[in-house]
Amino acid sequence: MNRYERWAAAAVALLLVAGAAIFFYAPTDYLQGPVQRIFYLHVSSAIAAYGCFAVVLVGGIIYLRIESLAADRFARAGALVGVVFTTVTLVMGMLWAKPIWGTYWTWDARLTSTLVLWIIYAGYLLVRRLAEPGRQAARLAAVVGIFGFIDVPIVHFSVTWWRTQHPGPIVVNDALPPQMLATFLFTLACTLVLAAVLIGIRYRIETLLDERQEVFEPAKVVHTPQPEASR
Amino acid sequence: MNPLRVAVAVARKDLLSEWRTRELVPALAQFVILALLIGNFGFQVDSRNANVIAPGILWMALVFAGLVAFGRTFAAEREQSSLEAMLMTPASPLAIFAGKAAAAAAMLVLCEAVLLPALALFFGSPISIELITAVLLATVGMSALGVLFAAIVARVRARELLLPLLILPLWIPIVIAGAQAVQSAFGLPGSYDQAIGLLVDFDILFVVLTSLAARFVLDE
Repeated sequence: MNRYERWAAAAVALLLVAGAAIFFYAPTDYLQGPVQRIFYLHVSSAIAAYGCFAVVLVGGIIYLRIESLAADRFARAGALVGVVFTTVTLVMGMLWAKPIWGTYWTWDARLTSTLVLWIIYAGYLLVRRLAEPGRQAARLAAVVGIFGFIDVPIVHFSVTWWRTQHPGPIVVNDALPPQMLATFLFTLACTLVLAAVLIGIRYRIETLLDERQEVFEPAKVVHTPQPEASR
Repeated sequence: MNPLRVAVAVARKDLLSEWRTRELVPALAQFVILALLIGNFGFQVDSRNANVIAPGILWMALVFAGLVAFGRTFAAEREQSSLEAMLMTPASPLAIFAGKAAAAAAMLVLCEAVLLPALALFFGSPISIELITAVLLATVGMSALGVLFAAIVARVRARELLLPLLILPLWIPIVIAGAQAVQSAFGLPGSYDQAIGLLVDFDILFVVLTSLAARFVLDE
């Protein structure tokens, strides 16, 4: 077992403990019943996704300033892991919404802005795939990552004013039983550990991909613009 | 070099070349008429619901016309590799960017000059100062973001694929505010002043941000 496999095993073990806490330790919600147990992972993975996209933002800014390859690799890793966590958030939210709201989807501020978030970073990953690897792609992606991060709060606040169904961001209040709060905080910590481990592993993969790029395609590292014949 | 004069010269060059070829603006005009036609088939428009449907069709047509327009912004530069030549001059990249954005905005305004009367004709929606203000304000933010991302994808292989994917989500704030303004200009509920205020805020934000980012995009 290498270092990365040990990290991954630890993160999975932690999440299994969190799963046990969600199902056996946390009390069943009086109004919503067992479906409320979605809450723990739904909110945790949303917070983990924000964290990942913050990594993309910071990585992008650092790359634009000092052209650090490591910052760019962190940004790539953060975007991929963030899209995964956003997908988890959206799917779990839809599964929760169906029994409680009676529909999988509604054009609520929180839902809309989360979908926009997913689309922006899926676009970021496409830029990385379609642009020729190297300095150019890294710069372009950094700009996309920075604009994407700014766009999401804007969308969120601009749609907040007229339609809201999603409960507010206040999780911790007096009505929350301490077992629920403890389960939530523990699940959140485990999810953040998982996100960090995934970013670490992806960072390693990106490093290996970059090295392979340099070994096999040395000509492509220096990008020279070519006049195009086709329209 | 005076940046303002550079920007004016770049914008003038783009508009002059459009005037000589007359390629983009007629194509855009035909495109928006087609969008209205398809909207008519898609929605079963009649006199009772036209006012409710018209804002949606207006924004769909405008956003997709914008995609077509900004996709062509750097076409001439790409075909002749003249962007590199422009960037080698002492002119600041920001001034070149501003000139390109101004020319693209002007062409989108020409396209709107066809879209709004056609919408009034086919959907019976009134043309008012409120409507024109909202559409023109949206054009400012759309052009700033549009030209920045057109420059980003200009040297990428699959640019036709990427431009819509990148630009549409970033335009969403402008569409949210613009659509709200147009809806209330057409007599639907909603605060017009609030929407216009939001649109102005987004314009300022996006113009400032794109000017900061332009240096990194147009700098090779």
